[in-house]
Amino acid sequence: MKIQGLKKAYHREVVVDDVSFEIPEGKVLSLIGPNGAGKSTVMNIISRLLPLDDGKILFQGKELHQWKRQELAKKLAILTQSNHIAMKLSVWDLVAFGRFPYSGNHLTVEDTKMIQQAIDYMELGDLAHKFIDELSGGQRQRAYIAMVIAQDTDYVLLDEPTNNLDIYHATNMMKMVRRLCDELNKTVVLVLHDINYAAFYSDYICAFVDGKIAKFGTVEEVMNKKTLSDIYHVEFEIMNVANKPLSVYY
Amino acid sequence: MTSKKNVYFKKLLFLVVLACCAAALYQFTDVDINFFSFAMRIRGPRLAAMFLASFCVGVASILFQTIINNVIVTPCLLGMNALYVLIHTSVVFLIGSGSKLSVNSPISFVVDLLSMAVVAVLIYGYLFQKAGGNILYILLVGSVLTTLFSSISTTMQRMMDPNEFDQLQNSLIASFERVNADAIWIAVMAILILVVWLWRQFPLLDVLVLGKHQAINLGVDYEKVSRKMLVGVTILIGIATALVGPISFLGLIIANLSRQLFKTYQHRYLTFGAALVGMVILFAGQTLVEQVFHFGANINAFINIGGGAYFLYLLLRGEKQ
Repeated sequence: MKIQGLKKAYHREVVVDDVSFEIPEGKVLSLIGPNGAGKSTVMNIISRLLPLDDGKILFQGKELHQWKRQELAKKLAILTQSNHIAMKLSVWDLVAFGRFPYSGNHLTVEDTKMIQQAIDYMELGDLAHKFIDELSGGQRQRAYIAMVIAQDTDYVLLDEPTNNLDIYHATNMMKMVRRLCDELNKTVVLVLHDINYAAFYSDYICAFVDGKIAKFGTVEEVMNKKTLSDIYHVEFEIMNVANKPLSVYY
Repeated sequence: MTSKKNVYFKKLLFLVVLACCAAALYQFTDVDINFFSFAMRIRGPRLAAMFLASFCVGVASILFQTIINNVIVTPCLLGMNALYVLIHTSVVFLIGSGSKLSVNSPISFVVDLLSMAVVAVLIYGYLFQKAGGNILYILLVGSVLTTLFSSISTTMQRMMDPNEFDQLQNSLIASFERVNADAIWIAVMAILILVVWLWRQFPLLDVLVLGKHQAINLGVDYEKVSRKMLVGVTILIGIATALVGPISFLGLIIANLSRQLFKTYQHRYLTFGAALVGMVILFAGQTLVEQVFHFGANINAFINIGGGAYFLYLLLRGEKQ
């Protein structure tokens, strides 16, 4: 996926300004940056939740808005934090929705198999017939990931997937992201607040400041004292933990 | 999965049988055999009106709750009740209660229906697009409109001749006793047109349950579907209101009873369930009004008392969860 000259403004206030980058295939890319830097806006635009003012997004050689919605849903999955469900819906039902772009409301035998696989992959077997509103935050997040797996897309876009999760669930979430990439060969793009999660679990990092890209590169290229201090305006120390550059800020 | 489907079908079948029994009870209780066809001519249109009103209100309420993603809202919030009151008050105020537009006739029905359809398309179709698909904005517009319409109506009612006001009051309370057969045929036509117009959107409804972002993720044109549905809901409520008067509060009861009964998100069961529950309530309620209270009470009073109590129950239960 190629993003070229992306622009977005709200009432003349420019929030994303001439952003261009290419999402590396089959890798994990984290978007980081301070609040209001535009990372979530960029994410929402490539997730087609927000219209863009200017620029182009090329997805597999074709502009994003020229794709048929249904075809795009088979290639690109998104998961945001606003997932309130007011109705009675079981985990199995939710995961089954992942097959909607393929078969609509009528599931085939093939679909049922994919749904079961996704549920097993996320170890949700015991919970399959529980209602979504009876689950804990971590379980619910896993159910949504299972749905994304059932959707069987090449790309997965996650908007702040570790939000509202404790250390245990957040870390498991990040390990899951890694598995999506390594085992299921998906390209994963995620917005993260915690730079150490980004450093430990992704291949590439794209850092935003004031609506522009401050730095795009491999984890090693971005995770150094000078770059991080410039982005966040606080002091940083970089430490090597388990062969990954992790940061301490104060 | 098939066993679940069977359970749903059994429940639907049970409701159909119950509704048929209630309809028979209404239609045939205490009929003098000498005046059989006369009684049928009186009760027939009322039965048909109750049938259509339950269908419109039931389906509209379930759809509305899905679009708003909240199970305790009622399509009352769209302001159709207040608009109905305003139209009738204006007619009596401006051209008098004896006019053709005011005495119960198909003309009055068509005027109601057209005004409501215009409001539905203009306000809910156009504004929704303008607001970029923000549904809360629509609710706000609905409640502001309700207040505006009610204030204008109240002002006119205060300045009105007391006799005229008395006449007006009759048409402002939901009732099945003054329905006429021509209006029913027009209503059936309107519903059919609406169903054809919305046909392609119905299979997408289940996905809307997941919310805006997930609907978009799964390849649904969220804005278009919810805009069309919103206009459809408004017109359905308009049809029911034009037919029998302000009745949409019934929707809260029957939609939630249907949800409690079916415990599913699937609209093909929920919508028919709500419509059938509505029929059972209305048929039985109207039988009570006619046979037990001898028209001394109005069915609307029962709906409001029952609906109010049920609404409180839903709120309290929601708090516990």
